[in-house]
Amino acid sequence: MAKLWAIIKREYVERVRTKWFLFATIFGPIFFGAMIIIPAVLAKQSKGSAEFTNTRILDATTTGIGDRIAEIMSRERQPGSIPPQVIVVKPSELTQAESTATKQVMAKQLSGYLIADGRTLGGEEARYAGRNATSLGDMERLRAAVKEALLTQRLRSAGIDSSKVRDLTFIPLRLSSERITDKGRGGSGTVSIIFAGGIAFLLYMSIVLYGQNVLRGVLEEKTTRVAEVVVSSVPAETLLAGKILGVGAVGLTQQILWVITTVMMFKAREPILAKFGVSTMPFALPEISIGLALLLLLFFILGFIFYSSLYAAVGASVNTEQEAQQAVQPMLILLVATAIFINPILLNPTSRLAQVMSLLPFSAPIIMPLRLALGSVPWYELAGSLVGVLLACLAATWFAARVYKVGLLMYGKRATLGEMIKWVSYSR
Amino acid sequence: MAENTIEIDNAVKRYAEHVAVRDLSLRVPKGSVYGLLGPNGAGKTTTIRMILNIIAPDSGSIRILGRPANDPKITGHIGYLPEERGLYRKMQVRRVLRFLAELKGMNAHDADKKIDEWLVRLDLKTPEKDWGLSKIDELSRGMQQKVQFIGTMLHDPDLVILDEPFSGLDPINAQALKDTIVELKQRGKTVIFSTHLMDNAERICDSVCIIARGEKVLDGSIGEIKGAHGTRNVALGLGGDPSTEVSAVLSDKTLVDRVDDSNRYFEIEMAKGTDPQVLLRRIVATGATVNRFEIVQPSLHQIFLEKVGATGVEMGMTGHG
Repeated sequence: MAKLWAIIKREYVERVRTKWFLFATIFGPIFFGAMIIIPAVLAKQSKGSAEFTNTRILDATTTGIGDRIAEIMSRERQPGSIPPQVIVVKPSELTQAESTATKQVMAKQLSGYLIADGRTLGGEEARYAGRNATSLGDMERLRAAVKEALLTQRLRSAGIDSSKVRDLTFIPLRLSSERITDKGRGGSGTVSIIFAGGIAFLLYMSIVLYGQNVLRGVLEEKTTRVAEVVVSSVPAETLLAGKILGVGAVGLTQQILWVITTVMMFKAREPILAKFGVSTMPFALPEISIGLALLLLLFFILGFIFYSSLYAAVGASVNTEQEAQQAVQPMLILLVATAIFINPILLNPTSRLAQVMSLLPFSAPIIMPLRLALGSVPWYELAGSLVGVLLACLAATWFAARVYKVGLLMYGKRATLGEMIKWVSYSR
Repeated sequence: MAENTIEIDNAVKRYAEHVAVRDLSLRVPKGSVYGLLGPNGAGKTTTIRMILNIIAPDSGSIRILGRPANDPKITGHIGYLPEERGLYRKMQVRRVLRFLAELKGMNAHDADKKIDEWLVRLDLKTPEKDWGLSKIDELSRGMQQKVQFIGTMLHDPDLVILDEPFSGLDPINAQALKDTIVELKQRGKTVIFSTHLMDNAERICDSVCIIARGEKVLDGSIGEIKGAHGTRNVALGLGGDPSTEVSAVLSDKTLVDRVDDSNRYFEIEMAKGTDPQVLLRRIVATGATVNRFEIVQPSLHQIFLEKVGATGVEMGMTGHG
């Protein structure tokens, strides 16, 4: 037991001390943070909130619609931006005014101009030209402003008091969505999708990264012949177990650090986003019960042991990195296939596909946690998934231990799958 | 404690393609220096791995220090230096050594003390520079070999197993290793090493076992082995290049069985029932100058060649048979 501990300690300490670990641990959350902030910033840019600075309204009517549009647009104006200017022109001078405005936009004296004419009054068409014409958000807001101005105009001409018109037409409606699961209402729908996707992605990344790490560790010990020294002091199984547990502990440490810093950044996102000029909708992090946390941890541990013991078997059966890259292909295909299904299952977590993928032992360690994070899963599916993964884990470690023990001392050519199966039958 | 440090009885180890060790029995007396001799692929490494319990024999029994080889308690009494040196390249010397000591059941405090002693003793820690704080891959090859050796010796093992310890050593380090082996013997430790260099074995070993193709060819103490191989050997030294007449005498099969020709020095094995004095007279009769004519015991090298021969070397085997 003390020897197993010595091996776990070495695997853990030597990895945590590397620059790579430090780098990944620091930049992981920054990467995740960027994934939260950049979409918000991009969304803001496409929404273009309050970008209507310094526009011109060419009003070719005599109804004063231009002023009303300007008033509505100014309502949401950010401090410091220039309110729209309204120029009333005769229809005959419109072409001239338009070309003047075009030149001013080109010279960056204006950002764009809107033309309101008879067709606009008829509710048919308004025209806009400007630098932000490709912004869907801007155009949608402009359309809404013109519509509101027209509505006001029509209500007034129908004889409704102008102070009432304002109250009647001002409807700052926002649609907020809430998810309902078997257990009841809980959290916003988008947040739990992000959360579940994040968990699946984190599990996938950890298994790939740290599985590879186990492989490289085994290969290093084999090629440097350290393995021979170690197994003269402890059984090969102990070395294998120590390596998997030690590397797994490193992966777990990193995940915990990632989750903590990501949650902290998430909580601090409002001031950060405010710096980018984005206001955030107040939504809470999903609440994770202790039971769910333990289940996620259990699936990670089992999935990691399953894949990393196979990685270790591969590492022991090859002699160079190049051979390892080839030999590891079948497992990578299983992992990548699982990752491909993350998105469809996120969108439809109760589908037949999701049920099957969360039962298959190779994909269950990633897909079942995803489904658990999205909502409740029938207990029998959860139990079936757990039993399957557990059995697969036992089979994988049994197979890996035998291949590892023989392969570690076999130098020369890469072992075929047939040879590996033959090794399993060796007593020791 | 048992009289023999190692007792192997009828050990067999088969692999899919070949038999690595067949029906091997040997005794390594306590406190002796024991050589495991044989060509590449003879089964030396497999035998050592079975002694170390890295692999188990298919049949037969192996007892170390009076206990079965698979008794977990005995690894703490064995020190092993593998043929190809293995250390974690990116790890600090001191941490590697502490790890190796922990695997042998030492606690960190005792290990640190011993590590310091050994680093000083092998000049890896001097007032100017403590190589213990460097990473393994910052060390020269010779220094890495020293570190590996420290790793073998840290826990003061009763049985030291060295697999091809002399390969790749420069003359100075080879001499240092010989001194260390002798010193270990003087302290009552048992040393077993494998080699294919007969000169080294003859000088250092008390007893040897020669194996070829997985089988024991002969074993026993150096004195016994040489005695059993008679006194039909003659060492002949000539003062000048051998003439054609001398060559003719030496190739007379009624007189001479075998000649190991080293130009002006010959190790000659007489044919059965012949008198070495006849040979001397015939050589003198050719007019050659004889600087040395001595009836000697055969060298281990001669015995090895005689017993194993060129056929004993299986070509194309790896060095890990």
